[in-house]
Amino acid sequence: MDHILSIVLFTPLVGLLVLLFIPSSNARAVKLWANIASFAGFLVCLPLIFRFDRTKDFQFVEKADWIPSLGASYHLGIDGFSLLLVVLTALLGFLAILSSWNAIQIRLKEYYAYFLLLQVGMLGVFMALDFLLFFVFWELVLVPMYFIIGIWGGPRRVYAAIKFIIYTLIGSVLMLLGILMLYFEHYSQFQVLTFNIADLLQTDLSGTVQWWVFWAFFLGFAVKVPMWPFHTWLPDAHVEAPTAGSVILASVLLKMGTYGFLRFSLPLLPDAAKNPTIVNIMAVLSIIAIVYGALVSLMQKDWKKLVAYSSVSHLGFCTLGIFALNPAGIAGSILQQINHGISTGMLFLIVGVVYERRHTREISEYGGLLRIMPVFAIVFLITALSSMGMPPLNGFIGEITILQGVFQMSFNWAFWCVVGILLGAAYLIWLYQRTMLGEVPEKNTGLKDLSPREIAVFAPLLVWAFWIGLYPRPFFEVLERPVAQIVERVRPGYYAERNLRNPLASPSPAARISAPVPAGD
Amino acid sequence: MLEGYIPIFIFMAVALAFPIVALSLSKLLRPAAPSVTKLEAYECGIQASGGARGRYTVRFYIIAILFVIFDVEAVFLFPWAVRYRQLGWFGVAEVAVFLGILIVGYIWAYKKKALEWV
Amino acid sequence: MPVNFVPSGAEMLRILPEIILVLAGTLIMIMEPLTRPANKHFLGKFALASLFAALWGSVVAHANPGPAFQNMLIVDGFDTFFRILVIVVGILTVLASFQYLKREQSDSGEYYALILFSLVGQCVMAGANELIMVFIGLEISSIATYVLTGYLRDDKRANEAAIKYFLLGSFATAFLLYGIAWIYGLTGSTNLTEIRSALMDLQTSPSVMLVGTAAALMLVGFAFKVSAAPFQVWTPDVYQGAPAPVAAFLSTGPKAAAFAIFVRVYATAFDSISARWEPLIWISALLTMVIGNFAALVQNNIKRLLAYSSIAHAGYLLVAMTAHSEIGIAAIMFYLAAYALMNVGAFAIVAHFSRRRERYLQVEDLAGLGWKQPVTAGLFAIFLLSLIGVPLTAGFFGKFYIFKAALEADLLWLTILGLLTSAVAAYYYLRILVVMYMHEAGEPASTLPPPGAGLKTALWASAVGTLILGIFPSLVLDFAGRSATLLK
Repeated sequence: MDHILSIVLFTPLVGLLVLLFIPSSNARAVKLWANIASFAGFLVCLPLIFRFDRTKDFQFVEKADWIPSLGASYHLGIDGFSLLLVVLTALLGFLAILSSWNAIQIRLKEYYAYFLLLQVGMLGVFMALDFLLFFVFWELVLVPMYFIIGIWGGPRRVYAAIKFIIYTLIGSVLMLLGILMLYFEHYSQFQVLTFNIADLLQTDLSGTVQWWVFWAFFLGFAVKVPMWPFHTWLPDAHVEAPTAGSVILASVLLKMGTYGFLRFSLPLLPDAAKNPTIVNIMAVLSIIAIVYGALVSLMQKDWKKLVAYSSVSHLGFCTLGIFALNPAGIAGSILQQINHGISTGMLFLIVGVVYERRHTREISEYGGLLRIMPVFAIVFLITALSSMGMPPLNGFIGEITILQGVFQMSFNWAFWCVVGILLGAAYLIWLYQRTMLGEVPEKNTGLKDLSPREIAVFAPLLVWAFWIGLYPRPFFEVLERPVAQIVERVRPGYYAERNLRNPLASPSPAARISAPVPAGD
Repeated sequence: MLEGYIPIFIFMAVALAFPIVALSLSKLLRPAAPSVTKLEAYECGIQASGGARGRYTVRFYIIAILFVIFDVEAVFLFPWAVRYRQLGWFGVAEVAVFLGILIVGYIWAYKKKALEWV
Repeated sequence: MPVNFVPSGAEMLRILPEIILVLAGTLIMIMEPLTRPANKHFLGKFALASLFAALWGSVVAHANPGPAFQNMLIVDGFDTFFRILVIVVGILTVLASFQYLKREQSDSGEYYALILFSLVGQCVMAGANELIMVFIGLEISSIATYVLTGYLRDDKRANEAAIKYFLLGSFATAFLLYGIAWIYGLTGSTNLTEIRSALMDLQTSPSVMLVGTAAALMLVGFAFKVSAAPFQVWTPDVYQGAPAPVAAFLSTGPKAAAFAIFVRVYATAFDSISARWEPLIWISALLTMVIGNFAALVQNNIKRLLAYSSIAHAGYLLVAMTAHSEIGIAAIMFYLAAYALMNVGAFAIVAHFSRRRERYLQVEDLAGLGWKQPVTAGLFAIFLLSLIGVPLTAGFFGKFYIFKAALEADLLWLTILGLLTSAVAAYYYLRILVVMYMHEAGEPASTLPPPGAGLKTALWASAVGTLILGIFPSLVLDFAGRSATLLK
């Protein structure tokens, strides 16, 4: 059996264990080791990209007994969708740690330890093929994030940290209830106790059960995404968290929610997911998030809060794309999740750069930075364009694909999407104008431009942004099968009815998602 | 099943009724002429002084506790004595263990000076 | 009478742990006045050694299962599980007490002897197959704990706690005894198996009302012992007043043993009349969880906070009790093991932190502990996270099994409400974490001496146990599952 996923998963943990033995008085060694460990964590996930076979579903599968009496196992595997998120996590985990070199001055050892632990949890969420294992990683993520916000955050950090954890805990206990309902339904039909997702997919669920389980899952995932009206923890958490914490929160943690919808809610509960009532509620909540997030962003005086609310708006696109329930909508949504990880991650890093220099996030404190920090201003420009969806950058590809999917579903939804895109352009351009252009206030004249280390943080993300923008084909190819699996599950015969090529019927007769995954794959 | 309890219920009813009837009868029949003298301290006529909650030295309590323990010990020996023949040597051994534990308690109390009055 | 009273050797072997504990306790009592004050700590070491011997004894007894003494006691997996559990609690408590007693200048043999005697009672409770044995075990355990509660006799709070505990405890046992008397009157037996078959016959007769009343009377006694609402009122006062290591002991050992007999009596003897008692426990479970968790939200004294939290945890256990299934019983067993480890750990840290005469007991006093003593605070954090029920700690699987059992028994609403209260609970545990890690260090945290060897061992053992149960729960759960099926 191939153990590469375990290696990817536990590299940060090994790094963490070694870190605990480095004396905290030696700040340089602590920082250096944390960077090495997280970079190693990124490097070990690269073979996944090269060895990935896009004609197959779950790959690199590992399975070992964990709690036999419950039917829970240590079961890992990734498909194209999780591959992208795993790589995103590994890369951003490393960049977040790299970006903290100067930003964090106190309690370094604990700081990096929490980041490495967070990394394990996030990777585990995207790799787990066992529902209980998934839940364990899902909850594991909360603890380090809670400490990162609460210890290294801004003035209202304790409030933000507690709000973050209580919201997500309440969401996730109800999700656990949903998992258990599913588990018992499966047991009553097959007399086998299992948390294996492939097995749970075989369960024949009545409409009512699907309905209730869907809402139980919804609470867990919607809080995480966050969908309106469960988003209120997000601005607080973002504003108070240290830069690296915000980056991880926005780029990876929020994706756990959308990942949950796509991996669990849709395939496991297809009837509920296509129930018109649910679809409409989801769409309305998403549209509210898109427009509301954008409008609130427009009104912000705090740079970081603006970016935080823009996240609400962008994630609204992702959830809307999911509930368009067609290949374009879902593929666009996934791609947009990656895009959001890249561009919002960079936006938070940008706020971090100026905050490190000026220790304020008031937009009115800045202006004319273009003249003082030209490299920085260019990076910001590209990021802003990427975030607002300008060609030839990544955001454009994602948004246009979502729009295509949504348009097939409803003209009204598409209309609101366009409104959201326009508003998004407005608040970003206005932000850029207020901070980068115009007169330079006296106190900003001495600001230094990006250091080589900071450029190193931005460079991979910029490259990725252009890559998706100019040549998105490999991404769509990787996503083809996972998306088709979801669509065929929710709307069987979708491709055949529309005379589309069904990616699942490709030459290699790969195992279907619903069939047990062959071992040794 | 419940019929067996009927005598008890009758008994309880009578017991409850008796004081009520007796007290109300006397209330009805007796002359009522209250006066100050009647409320004074009874017989010797000396006014009580001091509180009723006098304090005793704590040693009395210790002695009382020890007395109870070793008194109850004797009570436990009776059933054994009654069943002595049936229980045989096993009973002797059991009682020896029982007394042994009590002797440990006695030694402990003695060494802790619980038996001394100072 | 043809009955042979003389127990066989095998029967004596089955009560080996009790024999070891009684002998050791008596020996300590007789050695105590003969030891010079400087050497008293040897008595503690001796107690520790005898506890390990008792642990070995329960393994030996387990190798030789069966009834003992005319079916008054029964040695089965269930019994062994709880014996080992309470003895482990005893070991951890004794380890955590060395430094505490030295600090309070109250190191004496009686303390250890009382713990051993209390454990004897708890072991008897674990194996009781007879209502009289239940009562005797309960009393042996309780009387020792009443004394332990007031062990620091110069302390006003401890005195108050001891008197309160004693009076209310006696009152509750009186209810229990009265219930036992009713049951004896109705069925003509105090043996659980015989009561079980007698009640099955009674099913159709009108006296099932009387049986229900008897079960309710006994419920009062048990509910008091496990601090279930509405009989939980004593818990905060007693835990707050008792010396912290004793509170650690009280909240785990006697509670586990009380749950053991609670489960055994209700799942064995009263199995057939479950329709009578299940609704009562349903209500009690909900009340206990709500009262425990919401009252804990507003506590500033850590001991009181942990006391209310222990009430809440009793509520979760009652949820599994309401499920009334083998899975529920296994969940109770697992949860009690998990809870014992994390709660003893948490109280042990409070005992250490509070300093002489327990001065520092406010949540705020812990400010900055995370940076002054990262290891101690880290261990405390593990216990608190486990009490919340975060994955990879024992508390998560504890709650998971309980709510799984409840769902399996179709207790959907109780499960939902339980899960929600447990999410509320996160807040007050997190408050302690906030103070430890997110506030500036104050005087109490800065002046904390490092923990002594015994305490350190206890803390590490509990923390490692908490994590092991959290990552590989099968180790304990499988044994609990097998033992729960034997219970008939």
